[in-house]
Amino acid sequence: MLKLIGSRLLVLPLLLLLLSALIFALLYLLPGDPARIMAGEYASTETVERIRVQMGFDRHPAIQYLTYVRNVIQGEWGRSYQSNRLVLEDIKQVFPKTVKVTLAAEIMSIVLGVSFGVLAAVRSNSWIDRSLMTVSVLSLSMPLFWLALLLQLLFAMRLGWLPPSGSGDLFSRYIILPALTLAIPSSGYLARITRAAMLDTQQADYVLTARSKGLREFSVITKHMLPNAWLPIISVIGVDLARLLAGVAIIEVIYAWPGLGKYAFDALAHRDFPALQASLNVLAAAVLFVNLGSDILYGLADPRVRAEENA
Amino acid sequence: MILSRTDKSDVGRISVLVRLWRSKSTAVSMVFIVILAVVGLLAPVIAPKDPTAIEIFREVEGEMINPPFPPSAENWFGTDQLGRDIFSRVLYAIRTSLVIGLLVRGGVMIVGVGLGLMAGYLPGIVAKATMRLTDVMLAFPALIIAMAVTAILGPSLSTVIIALVLVSWPDVTRLVYGQTLGIRASDYVVAARSLGANNFRIIAKHILPNIASPIIVAFSMGIPGAIMYEAGLSFFGFGIQPPMPSLGLIISDGRGYMTVAPWYTIFPGLTLVAIVLAFNFLGEGLIDVLDPRSK
Repeated sequence: MLKLIGSRLLVLPLLLLLLSALIFALLYLLPGDPARIMAGEYASTETVERIRVQMGFDRHPAIQYLTYVRNVIQGEWGRSYQSNRLVLEDIKQVFPKTVKVTLAAEIMSIVLGVSFGVLAAVRSNSWIDRSLMTVSVLSLSMPLFWLALLLQLLFAMRLGWLPPSGSGDLFSRYIILPALTLAIPSSGYLARITRAAMLDTQQADYVLTARSKGLREFSVITKHMLPNAWLPIISVIGVDLARLLAGVAIIEVIYAWPGLGKYAFDALAHRDFPALQASLNVLAAAVLFVNLGSDILYGLADPRVRAEENA
Repeated sequence: MILSRTDKSDVGRISVLVRLWRSKSTAVSMVFIVILAVVGLLAPVIAPKDPTAIEIFREVEGEMINPPFPPSAENWFGTDQLGRDIFSRVLYAIRTSLVIGLLVRGGVMIVGVGLGLMAGYLPGIVAKATMRLTDVMLAFPALIIAMAVTAILGPSLSTVIIALVLVSWPDVTRLVYGQTLGIRASDYVVAARSLGANNFRIIAKHILPNIASPIIVAFSMGIPGAIMYEAGLSFFGFGIQPPMPSLGLIISDGRGYMTVAPWYTIFPGLTLVAIVLAFNFLGEGLIDVLDPRSK
């Protein structure tokens, strides 16, 4: 197990380097002259050229990239072209917002997904099962941006229960709609996985034994079936969290939630290169860390993986 | 599940269709997809109205009203703010969705299967480098990267396809890599090699036919994602550009009229959901028939 974690940790810096290089290349190719953007629309050609030399935009891209890596490690993430604020400070402000909405969505998705999945498995092949599974397929077939518009229309504009967009303090009503929108497709997915995992345990000897002992159905489900069904569920939660991070930008833009995804989107729209570069790197690095974490968690949860590594 | 040799004959192909047809949901989705394809191809013939015809006012019970007009017998999905028939616009947009779905997945298969075969067949540094690249690519926020790519190339149908291929190949590469590794060590590949077959022959005659089922499933299962990504890109202004029709574009236009004309946003979205659902059911049916073990 330690060996597994160790080897994954060793590869991580390499992956981060590859990631930042790809993002650098992508941004290098983006149309828009950074020196011109920094100087402003009405600046003279001399000013633009002076900034180009000053910022090193005239140097070879490889040197620019290496300088960038050195600066990032030293904590100098540059200034936003838009606001002239330090990008690192901006990221420190917006990243927790994204973490908050993602975690809220993950919790909602686990609560909804696992309970619907268990319900469907317990009542398998009944009308409850069929309608739950139909809803789950439906939830997976809706584009996130459209689902966001629908929920906004229903809960904010028609019913007036929740604010349509923006953000407030922790535990404010603002987080409910963005988190719920993100949670709906992933809870549909989790419900299917949970149902399948529960049905797999249905025929297991320990469940048959528990039943024949005369245990109540409730304790058979909670004490014998669920603990054994957790493993596939845990492995899916990691994948799911990474998927939520991929979808979070759409949600943040539509609900004007001031997180990392919206920050990246605005930076792209304004060709704000330092801000875009930093936010893309942080978003992708977060996914890499989540993947690593879920692999380790899976290893800890599954005795077989531990044994395999030791053998 | 590995196709046996006899499955490659025409008999095998026909039996796959017959087995797909036996599942009710798959049969319904196949009929629906055929209808969509016909509608997409024949949109100019079928559309009840000219999708660009503007109607700036209409007389209802002696009163003049301005668009957007609500759904009626004349405009099934209502009209937009210029009085254009949304149903007709949606029919034209279906063609764009289908073209995107098929071409993106085609491109993904070429890139993904190619790289996966290469990594699976040439272990060592090539395989390691390719697989680390897929790890990193899978970590990228796909939609924003696709937006950046269309921003670089200039948003249009072809650049949307390029952008979506660029962000979607790693899944397929991973799948093909794993499958190829397994088959490379199998007895018949070892036997073929010892008989002097070259790499190209082994890949074409032994490996590809044996991983055809998961590849077909991956092709089909990825279509809904590609269609939704295109709609998302177009919704945010980084995809299809007007006057080309796109469901994402219509929804984006409708967003400003959500409270006064909810049909403007809802019907194009429901169409999108129906297309995606049909391909999801088809994909599940294909898994049941071709690749039941992956379930």
